[in-house]
Amino acid sequence: MFRASWATVAAFLSLALTCLFVFRVVPVAIAVVGSFYGESLTGEPVFKGLGNFLDLFADQEFRDGVVRTLVFNILVNPIQIGIAFFLAILVLNPTKAAKFFRVALFLPMCISLALASVLWSILLDPSLGLVNGLLSALGADRQLFFRSEGQALWSLILLATWKSVGYWMIFLLAGLVAIPSDIYEAASLDGATGWRAFTKITLPLMKRPLLFVLVADTTANFLFFAPVYLITGGGPNNSTNFLMFQAYRSSFVLVDHGRSLAISTIILLMIGAVAALEFRLFRADPKQG
Amino acid sequence: MHSTRRTFLKTGLAMAAAPLAFRQPAMASSPLQAAWVGWGDAQVLPVVDTAKAMAAGVDVALETIPVSQYFQSLEVRLAPRSGTPDFFLVDGPLTASYAARGHLLDLTSVIDQSRFAKPAVDQATYHGKLYTAPFGTSSQLLYYNRDLLERSGIEVPSADVEKRWTWEALVEAARKVNDPSKGVWGFSFEQADRPYQLFPLMQSLGAKTVSTDGLQVSGYIDCPESIEAYTFYQRLFQDWKISPAGLYDGPLVQELFGSGNLGFMVGGTYIMDSLTKRYPGVTWGVAPHPYFAGGNPVTPTGSWHIGLNARSNNIDAAQTLLAAVLSEKVMDVWFRVRPNPPVLNRLWDTTKAPFTSEGWKIIRYELDHTAMVRPATPGYAEYEDIFKLALRDIQGGSPVPDVLASAAKKIDAAIAKYRI
Repeated sequence: MFRASWATVAAFLSLALTCLFVFRVVPVAIAVVGSFYGESLTGEPVFKGLGNFLDLFADQEFRDGVVRTLVFNILVNPIQIGIAFFLAILVLNPTKAAKFFRVALFLPMCISLALASVLWSILLDPSLGLVNGLLSALGADRQLFFRSEGQALWSLILLATWKSVGYWMIFLLAGLVAIPSDIYEAASLDGATGWRAFTKITLPLMKRPLLFVLVADTTANFLFFAPVYLITGGGPNNSTNFLMFQAYRSSFVLVDHGRSLAISTIILLMIGAVAALEFRLFRADPKQG
Repeated sequence: MHSTRRTFLKTGLAMAAAPLAFRQPAMASSPLQAAWVGWGDAQVLPVVDTAKAMAAGVDVALETIPVSQYFQSLEVRLAPRSGTPDFFLVDGPLTASYAARGHLLDLTSVIDQSRFAKPAVDQATYHGKLYTAPFGTSSQLLYYNRDLLERSGIEVPSADVEKRWTWEALVEAARKVNDPSKGVWGFSFEQADRPYQLFPLMQSLGAKTVSTDGLQVSGYIDCPESIEAYTFYQRLFQDWKISPAGLYDGPLVQELFGSGNLGFMVGGTYIMDSLTKRYPGVTWGVAPHPYFAGGNPVTPTGSWHIGLNARSNNIDAAQTLLAAVLSEKVMDVWFRVRPNPPVLNRLWDTTKAPFTSEGWKIIRYELDHTAMVRPATPGYAEYEDIFKLALRDIQGGSPVPDVLASAAKKIDAAIAKYRI
């Protein structure tokens, strides 16, 4: 049998590892180190220790941002994964119609998030939008959507969900297809069909794909930024002022890079903590092996 | 194990510090990097090409960036302090911000200040030195849709600056034009969330936008006059409902006006040109910018300047190109492709044709008598952004005194770093 030498293995891995190091490890290191620094007006780095973090925790806007980011994620992730799972089951049987819907549902993923943001901001515009045109044609009141403190968060959830459920659906579909059909056959001989088969067979066997989708979706939604930047600007009245947007504003508007990197570091820690929690919740039961 | 971890940490720190340590100077022989606002090739290339033809031997690498991303992109480009872009457009009130951070070359001895309009020179000056070259200025007019006004039985506002309408008169007329069932609105600011267009509301009632040293806004933007001015602004959207809330996109407001669905609009001079070209179906007229009864007429002004990077390795080439851009010839081309009021005094006399219209007569008066530049503070970028979001919240119905007080606090915190 051929056994690769360490040198061969290292040569093949070097490119991937270098990229991983340069594009992942280094930026994280820069962010973490930078979060302990400020900058003088002329650009000299000034060591601030935990100063940036203490300033953040003393700032009401930041604390509200933490809560809003968490609320957004608590709402958007279950909604997206629930819908994606439901759609995956709907298009599971490979009929012609199902194939059409698989493609149709995946399509929003193929346009850029910036374009989708512009599209939805026009659709939901209070004055000129198509949706409000339809509402008033039906005799209903016009809605402010992105311009309303109460509706902006939900409008963003709608946009994000429309954009991404098709993508997550594909992963869950792959998981569903991989469940051997003989398990369902055996179960049906024992009288377990429908809801019972779903809860006792499908759900336990979907743990791995669900865990992957949950962690990846949570990460994506913690970093949700473009629609906030393009449509709401964090408003109305800070209702969509998530941490990612605050990190952006700190650096590019308020010219405070240390604060921005401190927020980025906190987002990183939050994602790490939430992902660890999710791994724990979905850990396979050892008794079921 | 321990030493491995330490080595890893050291490597990480070294990598993190690397960009700070190795600031590579730009090669002197490389082309001049010029950052320009992307108004579209038709409004950029004629200006740049004419200037290049005059600046013999200067090799220019032009980079155009859409206006909505221009300031953020410039921050990213300037942050490493590497000397590029060598030559860049600067929004007038940001001069102080870039100068305070050492991004701008002192141009005091290079530019003959007497050639330019005084407010623009003032805006370009920081701590007594000229840091940017005035490139353009701006003013605002009240546009009205003649057909809509006649249909509502309203006499059109006079173009005579002595018979300038008050805001109160404008609201009364706009309420007659307003017809939500047909999607017709009474009035809108063209830039309904931009401090540039909305500072004159508080200024018309006598409020100042910032302290004399440019480092404090508390007590200014949240003073009683300011609260009164922005309560009026809020009522446009919330009480009288004559302005469309949440419409922040200038071109969409122009579209609303151009399609005959807006009675009055406060907007820039360039709209005269675009209405004629893009919306030939609408009959419109212009009048002077309104003011509050009991207050003073105030109009916004200020526009683009040009800055040279203090760390550039191409300073000679940059100065040659700058001299060409500030020439009468290039300024004339610039005016023709984008008709903003010229900042070069002589151009008012040499570019005669367009200045005979009613609109340009009003503008010339405003620039000499009512124009007020935006706040002179090194923290203008922070100020503008925070105030813009506050204006959006006011528009949406949040309590005006609270929003202004909170914005004032945030702005003061953000600009405290400029106290030296």
